[in-house]
Amino acid sequence: MITPNEYSASRGRRRDEAFLGVALLSVWTALMVFIAQQSNPAAAAEHTPAPEAAVRYLSPVALQLSPDGQRLYVVCEDSDAVLVVDTRSQRVVGRAEVGKRPKGIAISPDGTSLYVSDEASDAVTEIDAQTFEIRRTIRVGWRPVGLVTDRAGTTLYVANTLGDDVSVIDLLTGREIKRLHAGRFPEYVALSRDGSRVYVANLLARLGRPDQPPVSELTVIDCAKQQIAARLDVPGVLQLRHIAELPAAAGGYLLIPFLRPKNLNPLVQIQQGGYLTHGIAVIRPSVTSAGEARDYQISELLLDDIDHSYADGFGAAATPDGHWALMTASGSNIVSIVDASRLRTLLVNSTSMRRLELANRLDSANKIVAARLPTGRNPTDVVTSADGRFAYVANRMDDTITVLNMAHRQQTTMVDLGGPRQLSRIRRGQQLFFDASHCYQGQMACATCHPHEGLSDGLAWSLETPQLGRDVVENRTLYSIEGTEPYKWNGKNPDLETQDGPRTAMYIFRSQGFSSSEVDDLVGYIFSLHLGRNPHLAADGQLTAAQTRGQVLFFRDKTNSGAPLSPLQQCPTCHSPLTHFTSKIQIDVGTATKHDTITAFDVPQLEGAVMKPPYLHNGEALELEEIWTRFNPEDKHGLTSDMNKAQLNDLIEYLKTL
Amino acid sequence: MNVKTITSVLRGALLSVGLSLAALPCVLAQAPVPNRDVQATLYTKWINYTATNGFPEGEVYCVTVDGSRVWAGTSHGLVLLEDGRVKKVFSTDDGLAGRAVMSIAVDKQNGDVWVGTFGGLSLYSGGAFKNYTNLTSGLANDLVYGVAMQGQFLWVATAAGVNRLDTNTGTWSIFNETNAPFNEPWAYGISVAQQKVYFAVWGGGVLAYDLAKETWKPFTDPDGEQELVLYRNQGLIHNIVSSVSYNPDTKTFWASTYFGLSGYDGRNWHNYLTKDSGLASNFINAVRSRGDNVWASTQSGLSQLDTRTNTWTTYSRDQKTGRGEILITHADGSKQRVVSETAMAHSYILNTDFQGDDIWVATAQGLSHGIHAQPKE
Repeated sequence: MITPNEYSASRGRRRDEAFLGVALLSVWTALMVFIAQQSNPAAAAEHTPAPEAAVRYLSPVALQLSPDGQRLYVVCEDSDAVLVVDTRSQRVVGRAEVGKRPKGIAISPDGTSLYVSDEASDAVTEIDAQTFEIRRTIRVGWRPVGLVTDRAGTTLYVANTLGDDVSVIDLLTGREIKRLHAGRFPEYVALSRDGSRVYVANLLARLGRPDQPPVSELTVIDCAKQQIAARLDVPGVLQLRHIAELPAAAGGYLLIPFLRPKNLNPLVQIQQGGYLTHGIAVIRPSVTSAGEARDYQISELLLDDIDHSYADGFGAAATPDGHWALMTASGSNIVSIVDASRLRTLLVNSTSMRRLELANRLDSANKIVAARLPTGRNPTDVVTSADGRFAYVANRMDDTITVLNMAHRQQTTMVDLGGPRQLSRIRRGQQLFFDASHCYQGQMACATCHPHEGLSDGLAWSLETPQLGRDVVENRTLYSIEGTEPYKWNGKNPDLETQDGPRTAMYIFRSQGFSSSEVDDLVGYIFSLHLGRNPHLAADGQLTAAQTRGQVLFFRDKTNSGAPLSPLQQCPTCHSPLTHFTSKIQIDVGTATKHDTITAFDVPQLEGAVMKPPYLHNGEALELEEIWTRFNPEDKHGLTSDMNKAQLNDLIEYLKTL
Repeated sequence: MNVKTITSVLRGALLSVGLSLAALPCVLAQAPVPNRDVQATLYTKWINYTATNGFPEGEVYCVTVDGSRVWAGTSHGLVLLEDGRVKKVFSTDDGLAGRAVMSIAVDKQNGDVWVGTFGGLSLYSGGAFKNYTNLTSGLANDLVYGVAMQGQFLWVATAAGVNRLDTNTGTWSIFNETNAPFNEPWAYGISVAQQKVYFAVWGGGVLAYDLAKETWKPFTDPDGEQELVLYRNQGLIHNIVSSVSYNPDTKTFWASTYFGLSGYDGRNWHNYLTKDSGLASNFINAVRSRGDNVWASTQSGLSQLDTRTNTWTTYSRDQKTGRGEILITHADGSKQRVVSETAMAHSYILNTDFQGDDIWVATAQGLSHGIHAQPKE
């Protein structure tokens, strides 16, 4: 027989033993799970899924009709090819293999020659429009996209996106005769109807202070002089894309889609265009080709409705009679049909003050938009037939062409270009990347702030709503970010799934966001984005003398006078070359301002650093130099105060090669 | 005197006369008869742009002609003249990098205008300015004295060395005492030849950069700092060089210094001082050479040297009467004076450029347009 004390003690021992057993079992279970993950690469390596067979899609991105309207030429950026579609049979009847990643197309005035910009080859391919044989390849600047010939067909103007310039090509010799400096990231060009001007739409706004609204530029080239005639300020907007010009009888306006961000406001209210809106710049040109900027009248109209956005305007076209203008919304799978006469009435009847207000009014669309027609996924370019009866829309993510009947303003058919049927994980992710439907009121897609396959819009955003106006942070490019976690400017997101899953849903899309499988696909696509060949680095990879000196400076461990540098003063400590030049830590480099709630920021990767400023967490450094000339007074961002100007130059030359 | 002696003397005299007659063409060629009738080729008609007709006050540091357009750099901004009138005055309010404009270069290919100021480098293109400073770009220093285009490259002379900007790639290169024979860092002027670029360095002579070999060659005063001209034409006349001008016609570069004028044709130096030439002053702000002529912008007038005839023509202004004074110094030393009803705005000359046969002159108190008159029948 046991005593009550002995019973209590016994119970206590059994309780303790039970707890110990549970604890041991928990530890054992955790250990087993850990071992299982380590031995299962598929489960452990979430960021490196088993490679799937490469599927080559077409991804139509630019269109050109033959003068007789019987042939539709389709540039397919993912297949390095141009297809020919017979518009009567609506079948693909030809194909030409061009350079890498073709993006744009132009046709000679007589219709006998096609010119295709090969973005990744820094070249233009000339094709015989009848035989579809390749005639020659013409060298141009960095990453060409938009191109157009002059009225005589003797000169070709090519917009070089990465070079911020336009190559002027003499087509008789096939050589570049001059380079004209455009705005930032000139993408699309158009020849004026009278042939006197070439308009250049720049994707990015001018570099400027991050606390000021963006100002974009439409560059005007005088074709007679082949010089820049004017640089038009289009205020408050960015991502100017294709250009359509109405005939003079319809007002002669230029119509250019844009995006109007509200990045300087804390992003607390998304509805009614609270984050950004989408519309068109309506520009009445100067009457003379040599007209100055002040001779142009610039208005901005929104195409969004008060309860729905039409995200990421891309293509622009007008029917020959000028009655209708077509604007594709590449994030919303819609083409808006604008009644040009109503548009003109709206502008003519508006005072100058009211015209200014129109840039922020969401009631314009119901006055000027006659119809919104559905397209395939990610509609890009749009063209109209010479007789105005038909319009064609390239659907990049579907490998199809939408055919519109303009008399009835409705879709008639969808032309299947014959792309692969199966959707790879990356393709699914790519489709999601361009799709604004996951966002509240369809206001934005990933591509909205990361246009041109992962570029940064170059803006600082007030994303962190709890702090209301604090922690305004610069956008980043998405190139080569796999393996650079954590993410977010404070390093709080451990992986991209967190970044694009809950964070995007809660703070950006203000919706349920993506499903887990969709997040997985999206991450797969984003990780597939890379800068491509860096033009600052020689093709053979050899560094120039200046770049070599800069490399030595980057890796130096002593000052100019021979004193040793502490590890924190050395560049590779925080920007390790082993992991995309980021050591994946957060560190205080002395750049925090009174508007920041933290002082230690996530170290960005340096690969692709040259891809469009500005720099630092808040975008205050407009150029690379300023990181050290203006924002490193205490040598907290590496010891650089002992460097002379030539050394700083060399260091920057090296950084540009990464 | 016997016959033999007389014959001998007569033979000698005849020989002397014969030799003299044979040498006469050479003598005549070396010492041309001064052409007194030069009035028809002089600049006797001047139009001035000063504060009274829309031009900014103060000094005009440089002038650059671009077809029918004339750009002038002043102490108070950049001026554009077109069709004989001031079209626009640009200041820092318009986006110009600095108020004082020291140099201007026009890219003939694309029409861009590069402007060197004391606040950085400005690019004027399509009606808008874009600026480059020491803090925001690879520019060596914000005190920009000279700019010059060479194909796609822009050369920039600054107070801390020389830059070369590849306008296609955006790559900046710096040349200073660390990688070039700059005894002093102050680069004042630039002149572009086909395969070389010449730099005027204040206190450092002239530096020539060979584009193909990527090498430098200095030209300095053999007197060093003694400021003695021991032998005429022994070398660069002085190391304080204010500007340099390469003449492709004569394959000679000319250097203006604060102590005289030098020219080098690849073999020989040609130096000029006031004491033995028609040069108005040894203090020369700029030099420009084209054809057979060399134009020296001095503190006491504009001196033109015709290298064929070795004739100097100096233009100045009589500040009392406002008339122009033209002093012609011939090769034989004789002088000729001509008075013109109109004159340049001031006798302190800073720079020149040409518009056809007309001349544009930057002075201390305005810009002057010298209209070339047709020669009289």
